[in-house]
Amino acid sequence: MRALTTMAYRQIKRFTRARSRVVGMIVNPLIWLVFFGLGWSKVFDNPMARAIFGGVDYLTFLAPGIFAMTIFNQSFIGGVSVIWDKQFGFLKEVLVAPASRKEGILGRILGDSLVTLTQGTIILLLTFLLAENLKISGILPALGVGFLLAVAFSGFGVILALRMESMEGFQMIMMVLMLPLIFLSGAMYPIDTMPSWMRALAYINPLTYAVDGARHFLVGENVTKFALTTDVGVLALLALFLVGVAMIEFEKATIG
Amino acid sequence: MYAIEVENLVKKYGDFEAVKGISFKVKRGEIFAFLGPNGAGKTTTVHVLTTLLKLTSGKAIVAGHDVVKEPMEVRKRIGIVFQDPSLDRELTAYENMYIHGRIYGLGGNELKNKIEELLKFVELWEFRNKPVKYFSGGMQRRLEIARALLHEPEVLFLDEPTIGLDPQTRAHIWDYIKAMKEEHNMTIFLTTHYMDEAEQLADRIAIMDHGKIIAEGTAEELKKLVGNDVIYLKLEAPEDLKCLKAEFIRGCKLLSDGRVRLEVVNAAEALPKIFDLAKERNVKIVEVTYHRPTLNDVFLYLTGREIRDEEETNTLASMIRMRMRR
Repeated sequence: MRALTTMAYRQIKRFTRARSRVVGMIVNPLIWLVFFGLGWSKVFDNPMARAIFGGVDYLTFLAPGIFAMTIFNQSFIGGVSVIWDKQFGFLKEVLVAPASRKEGILGRILGDSLVTLTQGTIILLLTFLLAENLKISGILPALGVGFLLAVAFSGFGVILALRMESMEGFQMIMMVLMLPLIFLSGAMYPIDTMPSWMRALAYINPLTYAVDGARHFLVGENVTKFALTTDVGVLALLALFLVGVAMIEFEKATIG
Repeated sequence: MYAIEVENLVKKYGDFEAVKGISFKVKRGEIFAFLGPNGAGKTTTVHVLTTLLKLTSGKAIVAGHDVVKEPMEVRKRIGIVFQDPSLDRELTAYENMYIHGRIYGLGGNELKNKIEELLKFVELWEFRNKPVKYFSGGMQRRLEIARALLHEPEVLFLDEPTIGLDPQTRAHIWDYIKAMKEEHNMTIFLTTHYMDEAEQLADRIAIMDHGKIIAEGTAEELKKLVGNDVIYLKLEAPEDLKCLKAEFIRGCKLLSDGRVRLEVVNAAEALPKIFDLAKERNVKIVEVTYHRPTLNDVFLYLTGREIRDEEETNTLASMIRMRMRR
């Protein structure tokens, strides 16, 4: 447990050091929520549009999506930051230590997930100021869904980082992955209105299940696509799988 | 008892053989240095001995345990200061120490006291709450040394501990290393490409080149390989360059930079004779330097090359010229 708690502690400490970065992390989803969400909300303020968005106003429909997007972005970046440890050398300090590497990397992923969840909570509370029909009772269970998502993409980031030599390739991966995954998650428009080929992609996009799961708790059954057990099941399995792979890969990591 | 025993260690990267079957032993409580130019295979050896790289063949026992079969046992008993920085730059000096201590199984007041003792030892206690990214290179190095000592390792590895530091800071770090040996009777394995560092610190030195150990012994033993005083001559006309024959000249080598290197028993007595010889043959000497053998001469004698990088050669040449003027 030593390595796990210590590495989790490190991630949280690093987060508290970088306060200016925290502001930056929150600004991005806020821009989406305000300039995108608030902007479209007037366009969609009619009964026909409301019917498309499950009978709620657009901001209420969008809010769980922005929450999931924040978690997804930050946990992925957190996982990939293993590459900085490679470049600044801290990775060597971890690899040469007489502690379980599996535990260490699990601790790192859990620490990162907690940090990410903090950011998600801030965004979630801010959305309550804008959206009318969100359920306050849904906050805690939605954070549970967010945690599974954070663990999964933290793990995915770690796996990627262990295979990368520098940060250069990362920008491209971000461009290629991030926006499509967000657009194909049903966060901004319902999956059912998508062309069938897009819908097929949405079905295999893990983010879809996180958005849907968060909607179960924050908005209600009438807006969701899948059963809650499907959402949570898919996310949990994915998180277990990716963390497992990350742990095995980290165990094998060498330097140079 | 030996702290490190290495037999026929080979490390290949694909087709490239970085370490070509080296064997050596380090006694407990001694400072052992690997001296050699960059790319000689020193760091690779350190990484194998500290379980970070898998050896291709051979055997290595560190602190009584096999690095391949029992890496965890080895890791518990060693400390290392890497050639490149390995600190968490976002965290403070204290937090870096604390995290290291926790990972190595320390905690509570014991850990607190050790951190304070060691940060005071490397004179960083007053900067303990400063993030490491604001530290100078020398301060980071000192912190890394303190961190490597936190779990009281049996064997300490220092990979180029003073590379890139200014002379004052280097001397400072040498003092810490000497103090560690004296106060804790610690075994220290050091790699360096600075001759003065090996000479100042090491009880025994292994000279490494192209993945092989080419000589091993105390600094004095190694210098005896060369034995004689060394004279360098630069001639006005390089086409005159050939080895002088005389009974007082023990050895002669034409160097790739256009100088002649002579070995004599006593340079002070030999120089006038050399000038006479040159006059007789109508050869004009434009520059003379001479000195007692150094480890660099040993390296030159064994390999025909100088040990250090291009830029540093210049400073050495000017050093020798200054010594001559005295």
